Amino acid sequence: MKQTGTTRRGFLGTTAALGALGLAPAWTTAAFAQAGGTLRLRIDGDNDVLDPGFMTGGTEIEAQKQCLPFLAQYARDGETFTWEPTYFVTRLEQRDATHIDFELTEGLTWSNGYGPVMASDVKFSYERMKDSDWSGYFDALDRVDVTGDRTGTIVLNKPFAPFIMITLCHGPGAVLSEKAMADAGGEFTNSFPAVCGPYTYEATPGQRAVFTANPDWTGPKPAFDRVECNVITEVKAAELAFEAGELDCTEVGADTLARYTKDMSEGTGIAVAGELQYMWMGMNTEHPKLQDIRVRQAIQHAVDVDTILQGAYSGTTAKSHGIICPGLTGQRDSAGYSYDPARARELLAEAGASGLQLTLRTLNNQERMLAAQIIQANLMQIGITVTVLPLDSGPFWEMGQESKGDTWKDLELWLMRFGTTPDPYEATQWFTSDQVGVWNWERWTDEEYDRLYEEGINETDPQKRHDIYVRMQEIMENTGAYVWINHEPEAFVHSTAVGVNAAPSGELNYRRFTGA
Amino acid sequence: MLYYLAKRLGLSTVVVCLVVLVLFSLLYFIPGDPATIALGPRATEEAIARYAEKMHLDEPVWRQFLIYIGNALTGDLGLDVFSDRPVTAIIMERIGFTLALVGAGMGWAMLLGIPLGCLAAVKPNSWIDRITGVLSVGTIAVPSFLVSIWALLIFAVHLRWLPAIGAGEPGQLGDQLSHLVLPAFAIGLSWVGYLARMVRASMLEVMGENYIRSARAFGLHPRRVVFGYALRVAILPTITLIGMGFGGMISSTVFAEIIFARPGIGKLIFDSVMARNFPIVQGAVLVATGLYILVVLFSDILIAWFDPRVRESL
Repeated sequence: MKQTGTTRRGFLGTTAALGALGLAPAWTTAAFAQAGGTLRLRIDGDNDVLDPGFMTGGTEIEAQKQCLPFLAQYARDGETFTWEPTYFVTRLEQRDATHIDFELTEGLTWSNGYGPVMASDVKFSYERMKDSDWSGYFDALDRVDVTGDRTGTIVLNKPFAPFIMITLCHGPGAVLSEKAMADAGGEFTNSFPAVCGPYTYEATPGQRAVFTANPDWTGPKPAFDRVECNVITEVKAAELAFEAGELDCTEVGADTLARYTKDMSEGTGIAVAGELQYMWMGMNTEHPKLQDIRVRQAIQHAVDVDTILQGAYSGTTAKSHGIICPGLTGQRDSAGYSYDPARARELLAEAGASGLQLTLRTLNNQERMLAAQIIQANLMQIGITVTVLPLDSGPFWEMGQESKGDTWKDLELWLMRFGTTPDPYEATQWFTSDQVGVWNWERWTDEEYDRLYEEGINETDPQKRHDIYVRMQEIMENTGAYVWINHEPEAFVHSTAVGVNAAPSGELNYRRFTGA
Repeated sequence: MLYYLAKRLGLSTVVVCLVVLVLFSLLYFIPGDPATIALGPRATEEAIARYAEKMHLDEPVWRQFLIYIGNALTGDLGLDVFSDRPVTAIIMERIGFTLALVGAGMGWAMLLGIPLGCLAAVKPNSWIDRITGVLSVGTIAVPSFLVSIWALLIFAVHLRWLPAIGAGEPGQLGDQLSHLVLPAFAIGLSWVGYLARMVRASMLEVMGENYIRSARAFGLHPRRVVFGYALRVAILPTITLIGMGFGGMISSTVFAEIIFARPGIGKLIFDSVMARNFPIVQGAVLVATGLYILVVLFSDILIAWFDPRVRESL
C-alpha cells in the first residue's frame, strides 16, 4: 500500500520549489516618466474623514477642493492674500456687514443621480457645520436664507469681516448634497456620497488616493485627467521619490529647500504657497524670575534671531516681526527691539538680576532644538544660564494650560509655533484676556488689546484693519514677553512641466495646477 | 509530540497576555491625557469628552483593561481614532504587504546564505571561505535602514532601474514584484551573512561526524554527502535562527516601509505613533507580536518534526 502523507523530504522539496517560484524574476519595467495627463503627488497620510464637519484637515481639504463645490477661493492681490468667487457661483457679494448674497452657476449637477446643486444644499451644508467639530468657523453664522433654486443669502449673527476668507475659502466651506447626505445617514468618512467637481475620488488605504476625471463635470477642464496621490508619511522619503522622478511635486523641508535654492537641477522649480506659521520665544510674565519687564526686555535684546534663521533654518524662513504672517493685513515691517547684547546687559543691571537661571522648553525636533541651543548661547553671553528642556508633543501642548495641571506655574521660557489662516483675526485670538491659562501662556492682559480684537473682527476697511492689527502686535511686544523668530514657508519642489497651485496654508489644489 | 505542542502553546499564550498588559499599560505611562494627546492640542472639550466616552477612557482602568481583553479575544481591537474604522480591518489590509516583504527578504537571504555557508564549510580556509566570511560579517554589520537608503539612491534615484516608492498597482503581479525588489534586498542583506555564518559553523561540526565519514567511505558523491546527509542535520539550528529572524525582520520592515513608502504593519505602527492613534498602535503591535510567536512556535515544531531526538527528549 502506498503512503500518501507528507514526508519531511517532500515538505522540504515543496517549500524549496514554492520559494523559487515566488522569487522568479517576474518584474516588469516600471514606468518612471511623467505619464501624459497624470499628475503624481504626495499626501502625508490617508484621508480618513472627508466629511467637512468631522475631518482632521490637511489633505482631506485637498480632496474636498477637487470633488465638492466651494463658493470662494484664495487669490493673490500683489503680495497680499485675498479671495475671489469660484466657478461654482456667478455672484458672491457682501451686501452689508452681516449679509452675503450668492447665486450658484446654472448646470451644476451632483454625481450618482442626486440632481442639480441647489441653494438649499448650501443652507444644509453650512447650518450643519454649527454642530460639527469645525463649528468654530461658523460661530458667526446665523442662518442661510434660500431665495431661489440657485440663490440665497448667508446671514451672520454679528459683523465678522474674515468670514469669506477663513470659512468659505477653507475646507469647512465645502458644499454637500443634502439628498446624498440623507441617504448616507448624515455623515460620511472615506468616500464622498456625491461629488460635483472636475474629479471623482477613490482611495486605497495606506497606498494612494486617485482622482479621475468626473464624466458629469461641465465646468472648466483641469490640466490633468488623473491625479495620483501617493501616501508618503515622511517628507524625506517624498523628496527622494521626487528625485527618482516618481512625483511631479512635493513639499520639502527647510534643509532641502536651501539645497534646491542653492543648486537647482534642470527641469525643477520651487513654489512657495504661503508663510502662515509664526514662531516666537515666549516668557511667563507672572514667573518670579521674569516679573520685572526689564529682564524680559533684556532677553528680547539678547537673542540673535538672524543667527537662528541661518543656523537652524538654513536661511529659508522669513524673519518675524509679530504674529501676523507675510501676505496678511497687519504684517509689521520691523520689530520695536533689535539684537543688542550691550543694551541687554544694561537692562539686566538696572533690574539687579544676576546669576539668573532659566529653563527653555521646546518641542523635540531638529530645527527647534538648534534654535534653542542658539538662544542658550546668546543668553549665556549676558550672564543668563539656560537649560534646554526638549519635550514630546503630549506634555508640550499641555504645559501652559491650567486645566491640564500645574506645569504652567513653572513655565519660564518656551519656543512656540502656531499656524493660522490667511486673515489676521485668527492669530490674534489666542492672546486675549480670556485666553490666559488656555493659550495665552505669557499670562498678560490688556484692555486695549481686547477692545482692538473685537474691532478687528468687525472692521471691513483694509487700512483700518491693518492699523488695528499692527497696534495689537505692538501691545504684545511691549509686554516684553515675546521674541519674534520666523515664519516658515510651505515650500514645494516641482517639475517645470507642472505649475503648482496651493492655498496659503499649503493645501494643494489639483484642479488649478497647470500643464507645461 | 502533543505534549510538546501543548506546552509551547501554553507558553505562547502567557507571552501574548503579557504583551497585551504591557501595551495597555503604555497608554497610561505616556505623559498627558490620552484623549487630548490623541485628538491634538486644539481639540474642543466636547470632542475630548466624546472620544473619552467612545474609548471607555472615563471608566476605571481595571474595567478598561477587561473590556480591551474581552474585545481582543473576539477579534475586536477597537476603532481608529480618526476614521472610526475597525482596527482589525485596517491591520488586515496591511498585513499581506508586510508578510510578502518579510517572505521575500528571508527567501532570497536563504537562497544565497545557505549555499554560501555550505560552500564555505566544504572548503574551509580556502579563498571562498575567506571571502564568504568577510562578506558575511560585512552584511551583518550594515543596518537595514542604511541599505534601504543606499539601495534607493543607487537603483531608484540615480540608475532609475527600480521604483522608489509604493507597493505597485493592485492586481499587477509584475509591478508589485518590481516594487518588492529593493525593500526585500534591504531587509534581507544582513540575513545572508547571519545564515551563511550559522550554516558554516553547523556544517563544520556535522562534517566531522562518523556517519559523514562512513558516507564518504562508501564512495557517495560529495554533493549527496553535503546536501543529502550533512545539511539535513546542520540546518536544524538554522531553522531556529530563521524563526527568531522573522521577528527581527518585522522590526526591519518599519524602516524599509517608511523609506520606500510601502504599506505594511511597520509603517502603520510608525504613522499611528506619530498621529497618537493609540488603538492602532496597540492592535498592530499585538498582531506583530502574535505573528512572531506563531513563527517561533512553528519553527520549534518543525525542528521537533525533523529531529526525533528533540521529540524523544520531551
